[in-house]
Parts: sequence; structure tokens; C-alpha cells
Amino acid sequence: MTNFIDFLLGGFSSGAVIALMALALVMVWRSTRMVNFAQVGQAMFTTYIALTVQQSTGNWLLALAVAMVAGLILGIVVFFLVIRPVKNSDTTGAIIATFGVLIALQAGAGMIWGGDPEGFIPPVSNAGLEFAGRIWPVSLYDILVWIVTAALVIGLTLLFTKTSLGLSMRASAFNPEVARLSGVRVNRMLITGWAIAGATGAVGGVLIAPVSTISPNSFDILLVFAFTAAVIGGLDSLIGAVTFGIGTGLVISLVSGYTDASNAPVVALALLALNLLLKPDGVFSHHGSRSV
Amino acid sequence: MKYVLPLTHPLLALENISITLSGLKILDDVSIGVPEGAVTGLIGPNGAGKTTVFNIMSGFLTPDEGNVRFDGKKLKHIKTHHLTKLGISRTLQGVGLFASLTALENVMLGGSSRIKSGIFADSLGAPWADSAQNKLRGEALEVMTEFGIADAADRYPGELPYPVQKRVAIARSLISDPKVLLLDEPAGGISAADMAELGRMIRSWTPERTVLLVEHHMELVMEVCDLIWVLDAGKVIASGTPEQVRTNPAVLAAYLGTEVDA
Amino acid sequence: MSLLTDVKNMSNAQKLRTFPGNRIVWHAVIVGVVWLLLLLLNNNIDPLYSSYLALVAMYATAMFGMTILVGLSGQVSLGNGALMAVGGYVFALTSMNWQTVPIFGWEWNAVWSMVFAGLGGILIGGIVGGLAARLKGPYLAGLTLGLAVGVPAITNRFPELLGGENGLMLTVPYPAGGYAASEIAAGTESGAETSDPNSDAGSDTGAAAGEDQYAELDLSEFDQGVDASTDPNATLASEDLLTEGDLLTLDDFSNGGDLGLESADPVVEPSVDPSVDAGVDTGVDPSGITDSFDGGFIIEQWQASMAIAVACLVAFAALNLIRGRQGRVWKAVRDDPIAAAVVGISPSGSKVSAFVVSSLFAALAGAVFAQILSFVGPGAFGLGLSLSLLVGIVLGGRSSLLGAILGALIIVWLPELVNGLSGERGWPDQITNNAPNLLYGLLVVAVVLAAPGGITGTVRSWIDRARGKSRSPLS
Repeated sequence: MTNFIDFLLGGFSSGAVIALMALALVMVWRSTRMVNFAQVGQAMFTTYIALTVQQSTGNWLLALAVAMVAGLILGIVVFFLVIRPVKNSDTTGAIIATFGVLIALQAGAGMIWGGDPEGFIPPVSNAGLEFAGRIWPVSLYDILVWIVTAALVIGLTLLFTKTSLGLSMRASAFNPEVARLSGVRVNRMLITGWAIAGATGAVGGVLIAPVSTISPNSFDILLVFAFTAAVIGGLDSLIGAVTFGIGTGLVISLVSGYTDASNAPVVALALLALNLLLKPDGVFSHHGSRSV
Repeated sequence: MKYVLPLTHPLLALENISITLSGLKILDDVSIGVPEGAVTGLIGPNGAGKTTVFNIMSGFLTPDEGNVRFDGKKLKHIKTHHLTKLGISRTLQGVGLFASLTALENVMLGGSSRIKSGIFADSLGAPWADSAQNKLRGEALEVMTEFGIADAADRYPGELPYPVQKRVAIARSLISDPKVLLLDEPAGGISAADMAELGRMIRSWTPERTVLLVEHHMELVMEVCDLIWVLDAGKVIASGTPEQVRTNPAVLAAYLGTEVDA
Repeated sequence: MSLLTDVKNMSNAQKLRTFPGNRIVWHAVIVGVVWLLLLLLNNNIDPLYSSYLALVAMYATAMFGMTILVGLSGQVSLGNGALMAVGGYVFALTSMNWQTVPIFGWEWNAVWSMVFAGLGGILIGGIVGGLAARLKGPYLAGLTLGLAVGVPAITNRFPELLGGENGLMLTVPYPAGGYAASEIAAGTESGAETSDPNSDAGSDTGAAAGEDQYAELDLSEFDQGVDASTDPNATLASEDLLTEGDLLTLDDFSNGGDLGLESADPVVEPSVDPSVDAGVDTGVDPSGITDSFDGGFIIEQWQASMAIAVACLVAFAALNLIRGRQGRVWKAVRDDPIAAAVVGISPSGSKVSAFVVSSLFAALAGAVFAQILSFVGPGAFGLGLSLSLLVGIVLGGRSSLLGAILGALIIVWLPELVNGLSGERGWPDQITNNAPNLLYGLLVVAVVLAAPGGITGTVRSWIDRARGKSRSPLS
């Protein structure tokens, strides 16, 4: 039982990061109805930028802020250079294009920063906290991850529900034609969606880096986990992405704890397959079943 | 040919069909019969539910209540791709041709249900798979020649004028040698001369084939149909011969304010 | 309207394209001629180039499946690398464990193992395809992405059987009509001895071209020649780690098994050291293999002739399928699934069949790959391999077999080009190792945006335009 609680507690941090990546995927889906398979590639790239900033200044907060801005810009760049030109031609092409971006970003990062896995020094201790006579699988850094994630999720929720920008974005996602007629600048909302997604992913990358290592490919598996969470959540539901992101993190932690970490991708695959089989539209989806 | 309603043995029939889509009752207790060997028209103002009737008959939609009956048998859980095997062939609004296949290949695919060469025989290029295809190709060319579109055989739909595409689509639905043809707005976007030709063509299929026609162009409907059903707001408001329907006050009322070509 | 081209006056080429009459003869002639030419080429070039030829043929085999799946059937799959793994592992296991058991009186040999690899591909492809047929674009891509990452990880689940991270060594080829394999960990790869010459030389169809040469193959020489670095310790700390980000070059297929996230869990220590997965250099290092054998037998030539044989047989089947009824059915469902259903085609059935066929091809390619590498391991069949298949097919041309061949050429040639340039210009490794992938990524985006038909699609649209025809670039 102690094990169970430990594994569960240990899963919250990775769950939080998966939730952020899933959120990024969902925001892109909501704005342009496509899955950005380059999302974790963008996050990897901005995490390298953050690493560079941290190594030269030693300031973690600055590194995080720079990563967010870089993620924002990268999201916009990818949108303008790749997504907007391809969007209406063919869906197959759009999917392939995002993989092209992923490959290019990974190679670019390899060129700039090399392929060696690098460590990212956490701003606070990464050692398990001692409390009530035992060491818990929760570190100060984990708590920081929770706080940053919670702050970001709350911020995004407020943005979407309380601001006119959020309202316009939701309108554009729900019904672009009606939104356009009501004076919403739909195109601008799409860009905003991609930009915020980029920044969200960037935060996820910076948060995961100290407990993982960073290399051009090290986030690949995160893409699978995040996609799983986003799809189970319904691909257009922010709440779903967060819920199932954390859920996926917990499941993976349990699987890794009780069996072996290398089983995690298999379990994620099984979850994904099962979900697609039983409930292809996800648990929190707003739209009905897909047409024939 | 005169048909007395109610029909005693319709070849194809909707029986008390109701369906609700996104909260709207699209069809409300609709019963429609299609007599064998005749041309039956289904008309009504926009939004009357004509296309929904077709979609139920082709298995795109499952009704909440009621049955589809074909040749006396109830059809449950219609699978669209099984229809041609039953002998029901449908055209789609517009043309619905496959853009990356030539006109001839499009027509040949219409005979898919009749050719059963397995994928294994196909991959080995088995002689019997080939000869079946050659036979089908010959038939397809024959039908296309009949329709005056043999010249277009090697062309892609994108390079053909719209009326020719329409003919290719009709040829594609005919090559499966169907008992029943469901034509969804066959006259959409074609000229008056072509429409007259289309009318003659449809008449020429009877009585070997049975036709159900959804069409906006009253001229065509009045000219070719033996029997007409009129839908309005999800209900059957009238039925009968073209003459009966033309003079029916309920039909006139339903079409009031909308364009009547006749 | 200028439609009045008489059907009867169409050129033969047009007739062949439109009318599949007697296609088996045509296709057999085309494939046979290409096969002969390739064999001639293979016997007259430097062994270094033979090893490239083997890889091109292997990639082309897998990409023929991608032509059908992605191009004709319109399903973007990243799972074909994983299906190659299925083929490779089935080949390794069957050749290793059952080599002494004859089937229907036929001795167990590479051909049987290939058959079982193909069956394995069909089985797994059928399962995945059945699921995939229910899914649309991004869902399918995501699921198969999970497959690409998840399947190699399965090897860790069964370390005894599948060799875990280290994979399985194949001590290819085993002269008495079979293959022996041993796990690297056991260090016995040089343990199998050559025995009597095989008796079934050339009697089978599968890898017949190279079959008769098994007999002359010396085992230990093979290991030395093809890959001196299969010992994990030999390369553990070397520059392979630098090429972690490198998806596609010949020198490194080892990046796929990276499980970066697992160490995110502070309690559970990652059981897989991140450096281990890069430890096994599975790649063919062409520069190191020029050894020839006693009787003038050259291992690279044998590998190439085997790979070419498989590629040609697969190409024959693919030609028949694509240019026959089935090809039209796949395109029809891709173009308009509803119209396809209306004419009597089952859209999901068609998608599953495309998946199964491409899985079969992938599995056969995987079996060939296993023989080329004399090794199967999770790193060799990682996400990078799947992505390289997708890149190749998109650049070459999604919807044509010629595009697949061009794609295979690009995938093998571009890294070598970059290596060559790098040698001349003295680029640092970091640049050299990543330049091919950077180019791939950028080219893929550029092709999707500017020339979705890839090389073959674009050239064909020029020809069409010159002839006054027009059709979709993806047709």
C-alpha cells in the first residue's frame, strides 16, 4: 500500500507535464482541427533554448520566461510557414507536414546543441522530502511543477472563460463561419491558438527537463502519452486534456513502479487503442460522432 | 401506366418512417411506395426531407421508427455497400465521381459487386481475375458508347464537362444491372436539351428497371414519372399521377412562394 | 470540346494503364527485366555499392507498402517501422528456434522464415488495420505513432525471448538450410560453426537469387565483415550518442528506443539507462565491408541479390494490385468513401486490405533488414525507421511505385552525400549527423506545400500538361 501511494504521488509531476502537452495539442486541434505532431518537437527546441539561458545566467525563472516566449514565436512561425499554406489542400499532407517539422526541429536541435542527453539543473531540490519519519517520493521541485502547472491551467481557464479574447477563440473553434459573421477575426484567433499552444508546450518541456534528460529525441515518448491523454479526453476538451493527462501520468507511474518503466509506452498504446475502439470521440468531446 | 393508391405490392417501400436529427423531426410517419417497372418521383420544397428518404434507403441513416421493405423483405441495418448486391443502385447529388480514376475506371467500379476476384488472385495477376476485369471493361465501354461518352473513357472527371460527368455517373450506377435506380437530382446543372435527353433515357430503362427520382425540375418530373409523391416538412402531403399532383391544392400551397418550373 | 480521341487509337501505354488486360505478362516482363539488370549491376559493382543496393531494395520493399497505404488508400501510418520489426523478429526467432524442423518435407531455411515473417506481418497488420479502419487521419497517425514507439518497447517485456534492448544476433546464413541466432548478451555469436553445404540451393522462390550462395558463406567472416561493432561495449561511449537525433542515416538505427520520460518519476529509478539503447550499433557501416570470401563470394553481393529478389517479387505483386481492380478500389475509397460504398465497395474493408498488404510488405522488408544487419533490436526498428519510410514516400511520390523506389534511393543516398561533403569540407560531426534529417524535414514540408505528388507526381503532371490532360497530383 505504501508502494501504491508512493507510485501515485510520484506520477503527479509527469502527469502534470503530460497534461500541459495534451493541452497544447487540444488548443491546436480547437483552432485548426489538426493534430500538431511537431508539438513536442517545438517544446524540445524551446527547452534547449531555456537550457542555454539557464546555463549562461543561472536564472531558472528567466529561462522559463524565455522558453514561453520562444514557444509562442515558434508556434506562430510554424503556423504561418507550414500550417496556413497546407491547411486546405489535403489532410494527409497536413499530418505529414507536421511530422516534417518534427524531423527538422529534432535535426536542428541536434545540430545546434548536439545529440548528447543533457541535464537541466532544477531551481529547487529534486530530492524526496522527509516528513513524518520517512522520505516521500515528492520533492520541492515536484511541488514547483504542480504550482506552475496549476497556475498555467487556471490562467488558461480564466483566459478562455472570462476574457473576450477567450470568447472569440471559443467561438472561432466552435463555428468559424458564425464567428466571422459576428465580427471575430477568425484567422487571428487561429494564430493565437497556435501561439498559446506553443507556449504551453514550452512550459511542459522546461518542467520535465530536470527530472528527465534533454536530447533531440527524448520527448518522442511524451508525444505518445500526450496524444493518448488528449484523445481520451476528446481532443477538443481542455478539461479532458488536463484530467487524462494527469491520469496517464499516474497510470504510467504505477505501471513503471510495479513492473518496468519500459512497459509504459506499451500501456499507453493499449489505452489509446482501447479508447479509440470503444469511444473514438473521447470522454469529454463536445461534438457528436463523426460522419461516415 | 396508371397506379392506384395504395399500392398493393411495391418493389421498394418506406413504411411509417420517422427520424429525428439534431432535435429536428425530419420525417414524420412517412410511407412511400415505389411500384415495380415504373418511374416514381419524389418532390417537395427545400427541406421537405427528400434527401433524408434517400439516405435512409441507402443506409446512411437509420430511422428511429419504421421499416424499409424491398421485394417484400424488411431491410434491417442496411449497409450501403451491400445495396448493389441487392439490386439497388444510387447516384449521388452532384456527380460523386472518383477524381483520380478515369471515366472508364469509374464506370467499371460500378460493377464491383458483380466481380469477385479476391485480392490474392489480383496480386498474382491471376488470369481469371484479368478476364473478369476484361469482361467488365467491355461492358463498361458498351454502356459508355450507348451514352455517347465512349470518347471520354480515358479522361479524368476533372477534365470532362459537367454534363459528361453526369452521364459517367449514371453509366456507373447502371453497370451493376440494378433492379432499382435511385436518382438523386440527376438534372442538376445540365441544359434543357440534355434534360430532354435524360428524360428519354430514364423512360427507356422501364419496365426492366424501377426508378425513384428526387428532382427539383418539375418539367422533368412531370414528363417522366408515372407516380409522384410530394413531401413537405417531413410529411407526405400528396401522391398520384403527374396530373393529379399538378392540380392538388395542398401541393400548390406548399410550393407557394417557391419556384415552380412547371 | 475536344474529347474526340478515338478509344481504339489510344497508344499502347495508355491501354496498359487504363486496361489491365494481360497485365501479368507485362508486369512479369517489366519486373523480370529490372531484376536482371539489377543482378547484372550488383555483380559488377564495388561491394560497397552492393551494400547500398541491398539497403535501397530493402527500403523500396517497405515503401511499396507505403505507396499502397499512404498513397492509394490515404492512411498516414507511422507504424510500418514497427511492422518491419514484427517481420525481423519473426524471422530471427523462426530461424533460430525451429531450424531443424522440416515443413512438408522441405528443410527449414531462410525462405520458410521469410514466409513466417510475412504471415506475422499479415496477422499484426490485420489487427491494427481493423482498428485503423475506424479512424480518421490524425487519430490513425497518432495510433500508429504509438505503435512505432510501443512495439520496440515490447522487446523489453520479453528479454529472454526477444533479447531486450540488446536485441538478437542472427548468425546468418546457416549453411544447412537454416539460420542460427544467439543473443548478444550470451556472447555466442561466433559459436555456430559452418557445416555441410546445403542441398536445397535455389529450390525456392523467396530469396532464390541468393540461395545457392549460402553454402559458401563463412560465419565468422560475416560477423567481422558486416559489423565489427555489434558488441555493445565497443561503441557505447562513441559518437553514436551524438547521432541520437539522427533518424535516418545508415550509421545509426539506434535512436528509437529512447524512453526519456521514465526518469521523470523520482521514486522509480529508471531501469533503462538512457545510454544503453544507443549502445548497439546496428547499422551497416559500408566503409568497413569489402571483405570477400574464399570462392570469390562477397557477402554484400549476396545481401543485395537477396534484397533485390524480395523487392522484385513484392514489386510484381504491388504492380498487379495497383494497376488492377484493387488499386482502383483503394483510390476510390480515398477519393470519396461514400460514393465508393454506393457502388458496392466496403470502405473499411478496403482500408483494412491496404493495411494488411502494406504490413506484409513491411514484414518482408523487416526480414530482409534482419539478414542485412544480421541483427534485430529495438533500436533498429524505432520511430526513426518509420519516419524515414514516410519521408521517402512523400519525397519520391506518394502514389507510385517508382516514387517508392526514388524515395528509397533518397533515403540511402542523401546521408552518404552529406557524409561525402562533410569529408571534403571538414564539417563537425554534429552538423554532418543531423544535416540529412534537417534536409528531410524541410524537404517534406516543401513537397507537401509545393508539390504534393512528390518527384513522380510532379514529373507526371508536367507530362500530363504537355499532353493537355489534367488530374489530381495524387492520383
